[in-house]
Amino acid sequence: MNIFWISIGMGVATAAILALSAVAFTLEYAVSRVVNLAHGEVLTIGAYAAYVADDNFHQNVYVCAVIATVAGALAGMLLNFGLIERFRNQKPLSTLIATLGASLILQNLLLIGFGGASVSYGFAQGTLLHVGPFLWTTLTIRVMVSAVVVAGLIYALLQRTRLGKALRAVSQNRELAQVSGIPARSVVMQTWAVSGAISGFAGFLYGETIGTITPSVGNGFLLLSITAAVGGGLGRPYATLGGALVLGLVMSIAGTYTSSAYQLVIAFGFLVVMLLIKPNGLFVRGRAQTVRA
Amino acid sequence: MLQYWTAILTEATIFGVLALGIDMIWGWAGDFDLSAYAYFALGVYMTIILTVGKAKSPVEYVLGWRLPYLLAVVIAVVVVVAFASIIGAIALRNLRDVYFSITTLGAVWAIYYMVENFTPLFNGYNGVFGLFDPMGGGLSYNTYHYYFFGFCLLVLFLVYLVVQRLSRSPFGRMVRAVRDDERAASVYGRNVFWTKYRTYLCGAGLAGLSGGLFAAYIGAFSPLDWKPTEIFVLYAAILVGGRGNPRGVVLGSFIVYVGFVEMTRYIPSPAARPELGPALRQILIGVLIILMLKFRPSGLLPERLGTDGTNARRTWRDRLWRATVVADSHPDDELVDTTGGVET
Repeated sequence: MNIFWISIGMGVATAAILALSAVAFTLEYAVSRVVNLAHGEVLTIGAYAAYVADDNFHQNVYVCAVIATVAGALAGMLLNFGLIERFRNQKPLSTLIATLGASLILQNLLLIGFGGASVSYGFAQGTLLHVGPFLWTTLTIRVMVSAVVVAGLIYALLQRTRLGKALRAVSQNRELAQVSGIPARSVVMQTWAVSGAISGFAGFLYGETIGTITPSVGNGFLLLSITAAVGGGLGRPYATLGGALVLGLVMSIAGTYTSSAYQLVIAFGFLVVMLLIKPNGLFVRGRAQTVRA
Repeated sequence: MLQYWTAILTEATIFGVLALGIDMIWGWAGDFDLSAYAYFALGVYMTIILTVGKAKSPVEYVLGWRLPYLLAVVIAVVVVVAFASIIGAIALRNLRDVYFSITTLGAVWAIYYMVENFTPLFNGYNGVFGLFDPMGGGLSYNTYHYYFFGFCLLVLFLVYLVVQRLSRSPFGRMVRAVRDDERAASVYGRNVFWTKYRTYLCGAGLAGLSGGLFAAYIGAFSPLDWKPTEIFVLYAAILVGGRGNPRGVVLGSFIVYVGFVEMTRYIPSPAARPELGPALRQILIGVLIILMLKFRPSGLLPERLGTDGTNARRTWRDRLWRATVVADSHPDDELVDTTGGVET
């Protein structure tokens, strides 16, 4: 059994969660033109919501997943209603700083609510499975399958529903969409609900995969999500998916040869290389130029 | 109690220097830099390892020289600026606004994990320690603090003078012109990247300097002491005081450090829940940032624009001087007056 293929397999599992988180992040940017630095906290909220459900009601995995999703959606809507819409007429940078403040507030509220010690779910970790050259557990397979299913749902939402069409219109030009009769404010709100739901679910999957959750678990994942989104193409869901897969593979291959502690260092290296070569994103056509929000 | 206040004020003074540096990058040039705290930390690390001498096992770090404190600070600032020149070149070349912030955010976390995990550099998670009495002998533990506070105040005052001078100089106006409209500024012959880059390096240098002061203040430093999120306190200080106005920035850092951070220390923090107090303080910082941004983004002392010499705010000395010059250099006015007098 080749260690290389095993780490590729783990990389795919990480990339699956990363893809969901990054797509949620990119959807938020698409409709609101905001780099939401409180995105990591929405993941954490999802993870903790599932923990509360598991711990207090002894419920099964699926109910926990649903509760995490709902909590994430509520958090996303709250962020949009309470903060993003209030800063709508300001510069993108002001909104970014405001989300930074929100991230600080949410993270410390979670710290007060749940304490700094890490907690974990009561689910079984699953058994080891050999699939081709890969070594996975039933848990990682469940994570990957659900990530693919969610990605399929996102695709269907974007391409096959009225909301998806309206979302794409708003992301291209909110004012123009508004005058064409699309209720932009409501579309933005629904998008935040959707992206919050995806984030909450991704937070639950991430918590399940790494085993322990702390109030800062999502914040560590934020940078990876940003890197994936910017690397692939900020504001473009499919490009972001591609970026997340590439980043996941790069990290797992590099992680085979270095300590996993340097994961973020590698991610930053990836981000820098991407920004220097193709600042618009790996999967976006167009030449390199000064990029601004 | 006196010692307590001296300690708080010393801290506020040191962070005032750091805030002035960050304000150059954000307030003047408009680049929301999240990696400045790494420059500050690098300044602290460099100052400590340049003064405490060789590392004794199991502690390990690079260099380990035994230089005089002031020389060590100078070298630390040089190293910080050299380091910032790499990050700045990456982040400022083609990236602006949100992309710039994202890059610096990535940079600060990458540096943080690097320092925390790569022990040969700065002893990793356990950090470096052992710097005490940088002023060199002769002072008891108690009196030393007062002298050091005085020293920090002096440094802050000098830095403030230089920054204020620079802020009103043609360079300061150029940086702001580039911030407000890059295209217009470059049409008028300004090199946008070079302007922003120089400002970035100046700000990083001040961050390194404040790190040098902080090294002498706390004497030991580990990754626990510089979570990159700490920088929000400084942005809160700049927002409260007045972004782009050096006087406001100094005022803001004293208000936020003395009035806010220290007062909230009295929030009860029961032994069973030690995280409660610090968490509440962080929440208040977050609320402060959002409220200031929403309701008074220019701060208590807003930035003054358009000081190009003609419509500058004139002090009484300027007015007096200008009045004489005007009277002397325009004899024609008087001529007109006299002819007018002859006519009647």
